[in-house]
Amino acid sequence: MLTEELRTAARALGEALHGNGAVQKYLKASADCEADPEAVGLEKRLLALYAELIARQQRGEILERSEIDAFNALRRQVYEHPRIADREAATTLVKPYFAEIADEINLPLGVEFAALAQAAEAKEKS
Amino acid sequence: MSTQPSTIPISPVLPAATERTAAQAARALGKLLFDTPEYQAYLQALNEVNHDADVQRLSARIRERNIALQWGKGDALEQQAALTTLEAELASLPSFRAYRQVEETVMRLFHAVDEAIGQAAGVPFAPSARRSGCGCGG
Repeated sequence: MLTEELRTAARALGEALHGNGAVQKYLKASADCEADPEAVGLEKRLLALYAELIARQQRGEILERSEIDAFNALRRQVYEHPRIADREAATTLVKPYFAEIADEINLPLGVEFAALAQAAEAKEKS
Repeated sequence: MSTQPSTIPISPVLPAATERTAAQAARALGKLLFDTPEYQAYLQALNEVNHDADVQRLSARIRERNIALQWGKGDALEQQAALTTLEAELASLPSFRAYRQVEETVMRLFHAVDEAIGQAAGVPFAPSARRSGCGCGG
């Protein structure tokens, strides 16, 4: 679907982003996180518990206070894990940088590139 | 004081150059996207719906109903039913259908471009770059 010109321009932007210090920090923090079995396990547990609780709520079930407390405790444990905390801290630096760069794409278009790109993805998934 | 020369990390690229290059590359990409036939068709369809009296009339009525719902005016179920009818009426208008179609094409194009950016960057671009919940520019 992409013309060679667009593909080249998109790749040039991607490569320039890859060279940014904040992106490098994020990639390293992300790789460190993925290499830590404890961090991976904690995140998996949190996601599984979240999915289970949401599904039960959607079926109309009222959750016990103790279940919500257990979920919050696990969530705290996840975000206090040093590897995960490092990755999250690195993410907070990447986001404003990417938003600033995206504004440069938006300027000639007059619409928000990232929102439309994601809307297509959401539509594909639904 | 040490007589040893200190180690200065050297790089052929100035630190600010990456930022400048990324901003320049983003601007160039935005201009290329603007010039694509898909985006030009989108702008034309947008202009047509903005000048279509039926679209404008229905859009205004939908806005009114939405405001009424947000402020809890009238019967909520009745307001919701009226809103659904108005939205279906709007969606059936030929100019609006044409607009939705080209908008979807532009969305797919942007998604493909975003994937190419993310692949080269090593990290997904759009999810981190997004500022709002709506891409309509409004």
